Amino acid sequence: MIDFSILFDHMDMYLEGFWNTLQASLLALVGSFVLGTLFAIFRISPIRPLKWIATAYVEFVRNIPLILVVFLFFVGLPAIGIVLEPFIAGTLGLTVYTAAFIAETIRAGILAIPKGQTEAARSSGLTYGQTMRYIILPQAIKVVIPPMGNQFINLVKNSSVLGVIAGLDLMYFGDLISADTFVTFDVYIFVAVFYLILTLPLSAFVSYLERRLAGSR
Amino acid sequence: MISFHQVNKHYGSFHVLKNINLHINQGEVVVVIGPSGSGKSTMVRCINRLETVTSGELVVDGVKVNDKNTDINKLRRDIGMVFQHFNLYPHKTVLQNITLAPTKVLGVSQKEAEETALYYLEKVGIPEKAEMLPTQLSGGQQQRVAIARGLAMRPKIMLFDEPTSALDPETIGEVLDVMKKLAKEGMTMVVVTHEMGFAREVADRIVFMDQGTILEDSTPEEFFASPREERARLFLSRILNH
Repeated sequence: MIDFSILFDHMDMYLEGFWNTLQASLLALVGSFVLGTLFAIFRISPIRPLKWIATAYVEFVRNIPLILVVFLFFVGLPAIGIVLEPFIAGTLGLTVYTAAFIAETIRAGILAIPKGQTEAARSSGLTYGQTMRYIILPQAIKVVIPPMGNQFINLVKNSSVLGVIAGLDLMYFGDLISADTFVTFDVYIFVAVFYLILTLPLSAFVSYLERRLAGSR
Repeated sequence: MISFHQVNKHYGSFHVLKNINLHINQGEVVVVIGPSGSGKSTMVRCINRLETVTSGELVVDGVKVNDKNTDINKLRRDIGMVFQHFNLYPHKTVLQNITLAPTKVLGVSQKEAEETALYYLEKVGIPEKAEMLPTQLSGGQQQRVAIARGLAMRPKIMLFDEPTSALDPETIGEVLDVMKKLAKEGMTMVVVTHEMGFAREVADRIVFMDQGTILEDSTPEEFFASPREERARLFLSRILNH
């Protein structure tokens, strides 16, 4: 039987971890969406140097482990004199890592829009930027929402990497409680429940959007 | 109005357009025919620079299309284009499809753009569809919206790239009727089509292409009665006697 006294005795720690995980996830979500959109547009832009920068970024970041990206911020930056709080370093690493996947997702969405759309828009005199804004992106966003939702669910789960660098998240406090009580299984079951409180509604919201968008196409 | 002078185009090693010389005057309706892969569409798409030419000179409305200093967006305002697959914007209503370019490119007010849009929807015979989405329309209706969308910019030239090839036979007529009306009003039109009836009735000139070359450039009467080139004769006999 699961020992609920673990949960009640350490509620303050669980809640602090939960709160920090929520914050890290939200910050990284907004940050990676902005950064990812930017890099997606760079990567398909006709301007070569932008394309190269974005391609290098995406290929570098998404082909190394997340924990390495976080270490780059946590132990790499202090080497050049920039010292960050573990929470900040972890959230930055998470943002940079997720942005690479978001960039690829958005790029795929843009490329999925038929070429005829661009041709119709450009042949009527709209500029490249106007075509993106009024014709391509509004259609691409519908294609992109389901895979993007999955990226964000992954993001919440990946935020557990903060635990490794003492980032004060759910995983970190889970480890603390476990070390404190010498209980393992029960402690982590409650950690899992707290993650589910974040991810299940997110997942339900993504399914809802998916259904709504399917109807409008 | 449109003038090709020794225009060539290569896709890598493939020579798509070979020494094209073609002059189209204001108000002329030129129908381009020929077998698939002959370069018809490519030639028409060069006119508004959806395709770039490799060498030679192409002048449209007094502007060198492939000059680096040419403001292509400005030139494109005056050239409407209708595509085989309509290419309506699926996330916008019929009215929004038509008003987008006039408001964003010409800076016309929304109200004025909507009045213009309704005028042209009336003209193509479907004013009652203004608030619908493209997916709610039949192919023929969608293509008529596409024509109205082109006309709403009040262009000097209209290009048609196989406008009826994706339509079912019953709706081809309604699109051709709109095009005939347009031709009678004096619009300069370049039309790539396999509709020989339309070509015979409406065209001022027929241009026959094969393998990237213009083989014939003559009036419909001449062309259909006695094509000069053997290739054109073969093409006609295949297309008319099937």
